[in-house]
Amino acid sequence: MLKSQSVYRIDAPGKVTGETMYAGDITPDNLLHGKVVFSNQPHARMIAMDTSAAEAVPGVVAILTAKDVPMNGYGLSGPDQPVLVGLGSSNPHADISRWEGDHVAIVIAETETAAAQARSLIQIEWEQLPIIGSMEEALKDAVIIQPWHGSNVLKKYQIRKGDMAAGWDEADIILESTYHLPYQEHAFLQPEAGIGYIDDKGRVTVEVGGQWAHEDREQVAHSLALPEEQVRIIYPAIGGAFGGKEDMSLQIVLGLAAMRLHERGINRPVRIIWTREESIFGHHKRHQATVYTKWGATKEGKITAVSATVHMDSGAYAYTSPKVLGNFHLMVTGPYEIPNAHIDSYAITTNNVPGGAFRGFGGPQGAFAAETQMNKLAEALGISPVDIRLKNVLREGSLLTVQTPPPPGISMAEVVERCAQEAGWNSEQYSGNGGQSPISNFRSPFNSIQSLPGNPQTLRKGRGIACSFKNVGFSFGAPENCEAIIEIHGTAEIERVVLRHAAADVGQGTHTALKQMAAAAVGVDMNLVELDMSDTATSRNSGSVSASRMTFMAGNAIRGAAEAALTAWASEDRPAIGHYKYIPPGTEPYDAETGVCMPNFSYGYVAEAVELTVDIETGHIYVEKVVCANDVGKAINPMLIEGQIEGAVVQAHGYALMENLVVKDGRILNPYLSQYLIPGIKDVPEIVQSVIMEVPDPIGPWGARGMAEMPFLPLAPAIVAAVHDATGVWFDEIPLTPSRVVAKLREKD
Amino acid sequence: MKPAPFEYVAPDSLDGALAAMQQHGFDAKPLAGGQSLVPVMNFRLAQPGVLIDLNGVPGLDGIWQTSDGTLHFGSMVRQSRLERDPLVAQHQPLLAEALPHIAHPQIRNRGTFGGSLAHADPAAELPLICVALNGRIKLQSTTGERWIAARDFYTSLFTTDIGDEELLVEIALPPLPAGTGTAFTEMARRHGDYALSGVAAVVTVDGSGVCTAARLVYLNAGEVPMVAEQAAQMLVGERPSEEIWLETAVAASQNEIDPRGDIHATADYKRHLAKVLTIRALKQAFARAGN
Repeated sequence: MLKSQSVYRIDAPGKVTGETMYAGDITPDNLLHGKVVFSNQPHARMIAMDTSAAEAVPGVVAILTAKDVPMNGYGLSGPDQPVLVGLGSSNPHADISRWEGDHVAIVIAETETAAAQARSLIQIEWEQLPIIGSMEEALKDAVIIQPWHGSNVLKKYQIRKGDMAAGWDEADIILESTYHLPYQEHAFLQPEAGIGYIDDKGRVTVEVGGQWAHEDREQVAHSLALPEEQVRIIYPAIGGAFGGKEDMSLQIVLGLAAMRLHERGINRPVRIIWTREESIFGHHKRHQATVYTKWGATKEGKITAVSATVHMDSGAYAYTSPKVLGNFHLMVTGPYEIPNAHIDSYAITTNNVPGGAFRGFGGPQGAFAAETQMNKLAEALGISPVDIRLKNVLREGSLLTVQTPPPPGISMAEVVERCAQEAGWNSEQYSGNGGQSPISNFRSPFNSIQSLPGNPQTLRKGRGIACSFKNVGFSFGAPENCEAIIEIHGTAEIERVVLRHAAADVGQGTHTALKQMAAAAVGVDMNLVELDMSDTATSRNSGSVSASRMTFMAGNAIRGAAEAALTAWASEDRPAIGHYKYIPPGTEPYDAETGVCMPNFSYGYVAEAVELTVDIETGHIYVEKVVCANDVGKAINPMLIEGQIEGAVVQAHGYALMENLVVKDGRILNPYLSQYLIPGIKDVPEIVQSVIMEVPDPIGPWGARGMAEMPFLPLAPAIVAAVHDATGVWFDEIPLTPSRVVAKLREKD
Repeated sequence: MKPAPFEYVAPDSLDGALAAMQQHGFDAKPLAGGQSLVPVMNFRLAQPGVLIDLNGVPGLDGIWQTSDGTLHFGSMVRQSRLERDPLVAQHQPLLAEALPHIAHPQIRNRGTFGGSLAHADPAAELPLICVALNGRIKLQSTTGERWIAARDFYTSLFTTDIGDEELLVEIALPPLPAGTGTAFTEMARRHGDYALSGVAAVVTVDGSGVCTAARLVYLNAGEVPMVAEQAAQMLVGERPSEEIWLETAVAASQNEIDPRGDIHATADYKRHLAKVLTIRALKQAFARAGN
């Protein structure tokens, strides 16, 4: 049996003492240094490229361009993106840069300085093409950005459930809104870095930070036209990912560099480290999106119908956009049973930075629309936001908009009730001040921030609540499995246990949790478990660390492998080796017409309540308290879970209030952490109360569900609801910058 | 990025520092706390040929009071010391009030009074405070020394009246007249960042509570610390009231500052914020003047 235990992170001592090696720290003898040359062109056709001046720089070893790439196209949703934009490659579409962050060359030199100097000397002649910088412009299809696709609509899904006319007829109130959701940058601590070389078995080897070693291997092998066995991916320590390291950054170019140098008789490792600016410039973002939506409800607060049109900016290349759109499409109606639904969702190609995976994966955008609609309905109908949710949330046997029930273990109602209770919020107590009465006895939150107290007459206190669900694991028919190998060593007694697994510890602590689960599954003390992790040469495919899936998937794989190993142990095998591939219940893609499908095999449920103060004169918002109730099924390591909740809340706080990526005509204008503001320690909510709930998932390992994305989802809509409670004004667009808040409050006056 | 190559000189006396300034002149930059200079050098926005490190120069880190009540500061006094110094708290509370707004403790531990004044960033707090308090600045070279009013010291963006061979060696803040109250407030989008707007108010009232002198100075509102002279004049001869604060704040924010819109806020918002902060600062300054 597994006991919940807050053991310390096994990677903590190395990180605290500085012994841990991140990819950028690995400095073998004879190291060469690489620089990626970006196109800096949101939309332009390459006419000519001259690298002769760059090649003449002393210390330059090689400059690789499009013609050096065997298969010049890659991507998680299909090979749509050139590894290197340029002339003379196998890809007829590779001469066009569709994004300012497209790569055009790799410069390899004896020193970083020489590489940088050579980079600046590469001459490229471009023919400018029209830059499609907005979804409205893209939808006209006047300029097709991806000619092989034939339209700027990359993907469309629809849902048709029930009888819309009847649904609107039954409604006593119909509420229509348009929501604008912004980009978000992952801002992980460690910018992209990696090292490429040929290993002792002749394999093209890349050590890099990623989220799915075997997918990286597949992408590298494809682009280099090598069998997968000829490519090896190793993950050293990884400094954060949040979905931002799910797509390729340096993986392929480092592999390419190692391979081409080797062919030229140069067997030296190559390292590339991106600066923060290159990182913000060079990887995808949370999708910006617009949601047009209409909700109908009876006067008792029962939802009768929802229609929605989702426009999601997927940028220049697909990345994981079709899958993100799938989630968005499902989440835009919230964790509610909606009898009649009509949803059209579009992923739209533009010349902007690609959208892609980011904690919540389309869920936060959908949740913002659904939860804000729910809060507006509660206000309009005079029902408490808690009660209206309890009238509509999914319960056992409820049907989703895709007309199938969520799997058993649906805890949404319990989670909402618990959150409301912990936050001291029930229908009797609820009375927002609606922006009418100033708070007289309010303690200034400014303390160290403000020298002067705010004008008490301009401070308004408010609170808000929101809830969400989020799938665990890959959805909509995507192949889903996870493998584990467990070896039991010893003679009469078990002396040690080895777990071989590919899971990426991106900082969330998954290796610690896997070790705990391996110990529990074999029935030994954790100290006897050794890990051999994240190396495609020794571990089998685990799938990605994404979709809040690894604890669930790896836990089940470990249980299977442990059982097999224990059986072998009983048969006197020494060492006793067990391999297991866990395959969860199957899922299905959306039906093209109606959207009917079985979308997911597991969900996690979460609710958050927020208390905050708005200074209505300055527009500044101070979040005092967030209560997060999160059903994790079974808490393997409560301390790690609290870390995930607090981290998600802080990241969502930035999304709701501060983070403002400015993208104009396909160009990011603020690719710096001095200009793109993420919250600091004095900006984050003063109190985050984590309420860990354990309603078992019947098919989760020891009942566990995924949990790491969930606390991100409800925070922004809960904050918006609290700001409405405080000021009487609804905000349909975030981030709530002081400038935006004041402008909107003045409109009201 | 790393800075462009430069020569490094570490004099061990003021005379040595002044001699080095004379020798290298325009090509030299004195290094105080390095909290602004080093980043701009790393970005290569500044590429001085010679750095003259003042950190080994004795005698520039004193705080003392002269018999007329003036507080004197050596230019190398660290900002964290200003923040905690009892003389500052007692005699120049405006300075003490502004200090915690300067970036973060680590930066204040290194950053100096004189360094911030000489850097002349119009978004910085210390130039504004010096102007608001009628501060004077002592400039010294091998050929002599001179005092200049802080207000005259600032000529344009990041530009001061300092000569190529001169060092900023001392700051003097005259005592506040009886019946004077001060207040400083600012707002940043993120704690520790440069403020969107900020204002210092210095007001003096007579025995009957009528305002006899007033000064309002704004940061991040133009190329230099912006003094709202005409608006402040509206207060003189008046008793403090909500109405007069509002009129003053409107006049100052509309007519006497020139904030620019950027990715963090529109110019319109910054004017609005300046108005709001002016009212708050005046209210507090008058309350303090009354006591």
